Amino acid sequence: MSRLPEHPGERIDRQKVIRFSFDGKTVEGFEGDTVGSALYAAGRRTFSRSFKYHRRRGLMCCSGQCPNCIVAVDGAPGARACTEPLREGMRVEHLNARPGLEFDAMRATDLVGGPFTPPGFYYKTFIRPRRLWPLYEKVLRHAAGLGRLPRQQPERMWRTEYRRRHADVLVVGGGVAGLEAARAASRLGADVVLAEEGPELGGRRLVDEAGEGIAALAQDLRAGGVEVLTRASALGYFDGIVPVWQGDTLHQVRARRHVFATGGIEQPLLFAGNDLPGVMLSDGARRLASLYSVKPGSRAVVVTTSDRGLHAALALHEVGVEIAAVADLRQLSGAPAQDLGERGIRVLPRHTVVEARGGKAVAQAVLAPVGGEEADERPLDCDLLVVSGGSAPATSLLLQAGARTAYDAARGGFALSELPDGVQAAGEVAGAGEPDSVAPSGELAGLEAAHAVGLGDERSGARVPELREALAVARAGRPAVAVPPPASGARRGKCFACLCEDVTSKDIAYSVKEGYDSIELCKRYTTVTMGPCQGRMCQLPSIALMAQETSQSLADVGTTTARPPWRSVPMGVLAGRPIDPAKRSAIHGRHRDLGANVKWAGDWRRPYDYGDPQAEALAVHHGAGLIDVSTLGKLLVRGAEAGAFLDRVYPNRFSDLRPRRIRYGVVSSDAGRILDDGTICRLDQETFYVTTTSSGAGAIEEWFSWWLADSDLEVRLTDLTQGVGAVNLAGPRAREIISAVTDVDCSNEAFPYLDARQGRLAGVRCLILRIGFVGEVGYEIHFPAAYGEHVWDALLEAGRPYGIRPFGLEPQRILRLQKLHVLVGQDTDSESTPFGAAMPWIVKLDKDGDFIGRSALEHYARETPATSLVGFTMSDGHVPSEGAVVVDERGTPAGQVTSSRYSPVLGRVIGMAWVPSALARDGVSITISDEGQKLTAELRTRPFYDPDGEVLRS
Amino acid sequence: MSLEFLTLDAPAVARSPMERQARAAGARFEVRDGWNVAVDYGAPEREREICRTAAGWADVSHLAKLELQGDHGLAGVTRRGGAWWCPVSDRRALVLGARGSMPGPDETEPEARVHVVEVTSNFAALTLIGPLAREVVARFCALDLRPQATPVGSLRPGSVARQPGMVLREGEHRFMLLFGWAIGEYMWTVVQDAATHLGGGPVGQSALEGADA
Amino acid sequence: MSFLLACPNCGVREVSDFGYGGEISSRPGAGADFRQLNAYNYFRRNVAGVQREWWFHRSGCRAWFIAERDTRTNRVMFTALPKDVPPGGDSGPAEGPEPKRLAVS
Repeated sequence: MSRLPEHPGERIDRQKVIRFSFDGKTVEGFEGDTVGSALYAAGRRTFSRSFKYHRRRGLMCCSGQCPNCIVAVDGAPGARACTEPLREGMRVEHLNARPGLEFDAMRATDLVGGPFTPPGFYYKTFIRPRRLWPLYEKVLRHAAGLGRLPRQQPERMWRTEYRRRHADVLVVGGGVAGLEAARAASRLGADVVLAEEGPELGGRRLVDEAGEGIAALAQDLRAGGVEVLTRASALGYFDGIVPVWQGDTLHQVRARRHVFATGGIEQPLLFAGNDLPGVMLSDGARRLASLYSVKPGSRAVVVTTSDRGLHAALALHEVGVEIAAVADLRQLSGAPAQDLGERGIRVLPRHTVVEARGGKAVAQAVLAPVGGEEADERPLDCDLLVVSGGSAPATSLLLQAGARTAYDAARGGFALSELPDGVQAAGEVAGAGEPDSVAPSGELAGLEAAHAVGLGDERSGARVPELREALAVARAGRPAVAVPPPASGARRGKCFACLCEDVTSKDIAYSVKEGYDSIELCKRYTTVTMGPCQGRMCQLPSIALMAQETSQSLADVGTTTARPPWRSVPMGVLAGRPIDPAKRSAIHGRHRDLGANVKWAGDWRRPYDYGDPQAEALAVHHGAGLIDVSTLGKLLVRGAEAGAFLDRVYPNRFSDLRPRRIRYGVVSSDAGRILDDGTICRLDQETFYVTTTSSGAGAIEEWFSWWLADSDLEVRLTDLTQGVGAVNLAGPRAREIISAVTDVDCSNEAFPYLDARQGRLAGVRCLILRIGFVGEVGYEIHFPAAYGEHVWDALLEAGRPYGIRPFGLEPQRILRLQKLHVLVGQDTDSESTPFGAAMPWIVKLDKDGDFIGRSALEHYARETPATSLVGFTMSDGHVPSEGAVVVDERGTPAGQVTSSRYSPVLGRVIGMAWVPSALARDGVSITISDEGQKLTAELRTRPFYDPDGEVLRS
Repeated sequence: MSLEFLTLDAPAVARSPMERQARAAGARFEVRDGWNVAVDYGAPEREREICRTAAGWADVSHLAKLELQGDHGLAGVTRRGGAWWCPVSDRRALVLGARGSMPGPDETEPEARVHVVEVTSNFAALTLIGPLAREVVARFCALDLRPQATPVGSLRPGSVARQPGMVLREGEHRFMLLFGWAIGEYMWTVVQDAATHLGGGPVGQSALEGADA
Repeated sequence: MSFLLACPNCGVREVSDFGYGGEISSRPGAGADFRQLNAYNYFRRNVAGVQREWWFHRSGCRAWFIAERDTRTNRVMFTALPKDVPPGGDSGPAEGPEPKRLAVS
């Protein structure tokens, strides 16, 4: 065990032992540990195998930034061991190694394949023969996977809950700057949300002072009403919405102002073997020691480009780690070098590391003067190599929000140069990361954000210039603190620019040689910055390498575009609630009771049939059938000018319709194309009840209200589609059945075809329309939806002696087709006109005034349409597919089948098709090409069943 | 002949589109004012507790609703005689409340400037009540329901669970969701899924009335 | 990606609340020739810049309104019910004042 003695500030509770398993073996840790710290304390150094070469990888950043410790927790891949809190009984497994983490057969790719597997290797090599690609792909995926998803998982494990959160200010980053910003804004009365990616607030303060003073600050914030989210990663910036992923919740935060205090990311150094377990970022090593009391190693070599590494050397020495040497890439080290000297630790100026050696972990670090010869190399034994390549500001979210960066030579990186409106930056990301500037920078950002949303007072206003001044003074007094690291210190072996995707410095050079010499192209070719770390560890190094290979400056190379997500995120997090919005009729429960075969029909769930569509269709002819047509669109059009309005939105006339009468109508567009159809019933002088198709209900309401939106017509619309249920009762016994339950006189004399009546049916007030599309005497009954089951039950009960059957959509299709009723959207498409669809009579060009489509229809009325919609019957029992092609004598497509069914009452196959208008006559024989088969059909222009409508009117 | 067929006055029992789900959740029903109403879910005390500590949801689809079109003259949502009078636009308003609280013809049609349609079964409704009610709604609705944006007594038409809807804030911790009758089953499923995850549960009329008292 | 629009009745909502009704165009009067008709029915100006366009608050009050928007930036200059739209704005090739789309006799 490598636990240090107890010290104040440690996050572990040594009284509480937590047991969990790693790769099946039980491991113990303490409460407060992460999976990573517990495993490290138990002696584990290898945490994963790399993506391509299956090299050992160990803890490096210990803050969830790098990809080295990605594991599966309880079967879900993608967790980072170094930040995953330890829980009793959790099952942790490695991801990318077979048969095991310690012995990985795929390691061969590293040993022999290295020089032979440059970028693009797999695509170039396995492309031939092309037919084998599926096989190659399977093998390669197996080899390069980052874990596998379990086939089944409890839903709540893979999906998150969306949560909308509106706020005045969102602060991203819970370091000192972010906390100060949140405090300043909330004190002025702003509604503030603060999101911190890590498990704990404090940012760098956690490393430097074990989070001294942070708890009190956080307490202050919470008391002030700030919503503080930890383990909450901001994934991106989408035009003001920031999705923040926190465990099983995806907060969609819409704030009026944003403060990004995202800090900086400590950068690695590039040298041969820079990925060996035991190579650790300085903050990572310090976190292990200070937060989890884990001794990161016994003998360390420290290499740094700034004072950061020197502080780390001091801190590690403090906890008993022997410091073999400190290499500082700078000529002059900062003040901590003196402290090191006092402890007998030598700092080598202008030195760097060129190689890490070792098998399973670092055993030796090779130091050399910067730019020196091989002869100057100095190997030092160690089991820990602490590196610090400076800090790169975490600007990704800011860039997504529209900020810009520019190369800052003094700092050796890309720094924020321009902020968009509505966005503030604070702390290290804004170049104010030093102890003397981080708090004022946070406070300033918080005040400015609050001011921007209209809060604040004189005092807060006066505070702004004070803070600006303080920041300027601090900035002026600061010397350059870091040197840019050389692109690569490596002279041999593999030096990794990108740990996620196993991209080496040679791969970058190779990419340039292949011609991918811009950073965006190189990114796509090598996949550098595209892995789970999203460029946190590799963007700057890859730019530096590109600059070296192309002899450009870093500023000239530039950066790649920052894109969401800023953190790798399981798809399930984004998936949302897996419940499809469905409309259901008020009678839907009854359909389920009756065993209906329910399918999607547009937005609706509808009974397709109740088990036997043919028998259901026959029941309508022989006794009676009942179908739920509640899905029909139902619009109330009222007002003194309602009739005039309908005359303008339909090509036929409605102003002359008498009250209690019904007329069929086709809605056409201004291009004269059929949009929808339905029936219009005049209830009284000023009131029309308009039905539309089921799928057209919403669109027609929108269409009507659009034409009304800037008109002066005195017309009011009310959409009753969902509030009114409707059923169609049809069949030779329909009149007897309805008469048994209604007080309305349903005799043919009192209630003829296309009339409407109101009355009670089974006690419920109803509107009864004498219409039907199924060929038999029919009554369409409309009533308040809340009585749906009652009306349905009453009619089925009354119809029982007459052999009534409920029927679904499929038998209705058969029955409609027998009557050659055009099904809009099925038999027509967006180019069909009433003339082509055999309904010229619907267009009343003798109407006064304008109507929608008039000009176009006047043109179409003068010419013969190219194709016309007609009925057909098949000479044999073959049912052609809907969509089958009608061909002319040369075999050229000339039309298509739109509907086809076997009609049980006719005993033959019937259908509808668009055919060349010249052929659209009774008795003409046409050829249908259906998936290679040639079929013969005979055309019919009149309904197959009751062609003169005598049955319907009887 | 005009719009009698929209009137709900049958001797039959009127049913909410969420009735079957309420029954599956253990609801005990009583017929009130012609409606089958979930009175409780077998544990009224626990339901009241849910309303006090988490979030309860109650089917209130039986509330009567009228649509007013024309010059309704409402400047904002007002409460009159126990009913909510909610302007949706300057030409359209919705009145909703218990059957007894609804306005008579003379109250809604002064000089016939306002035209009235009964739309009771156009809109199904769920009341969410409890300290977590707003959190539950935030799980499926992007409307800003913070008190500063949506004070008590305001109506917010907008997308609710990806469907057209409205949210009426009836109290500090009480929201009524209004949505199409045909999506009742869907909406119950969504609310149940979101609320249960936060410790909420279905509650009956008794619990709602208890919260009113 | 997720821009906001203010419904004149309901206030600010995310754009997914709304239906887009297209740029405002002038409806040719009676006796228009086929070419004019087709231009009106099938051609859009598709400007890169400021235009006036129809929007429908589909998930809310279900009212149509007009927005003036810069198509390059999604910046919305104003939204208003048709009766409140300030004059001006290029509404297409036709001459004359803001067209009523459907002549009311």
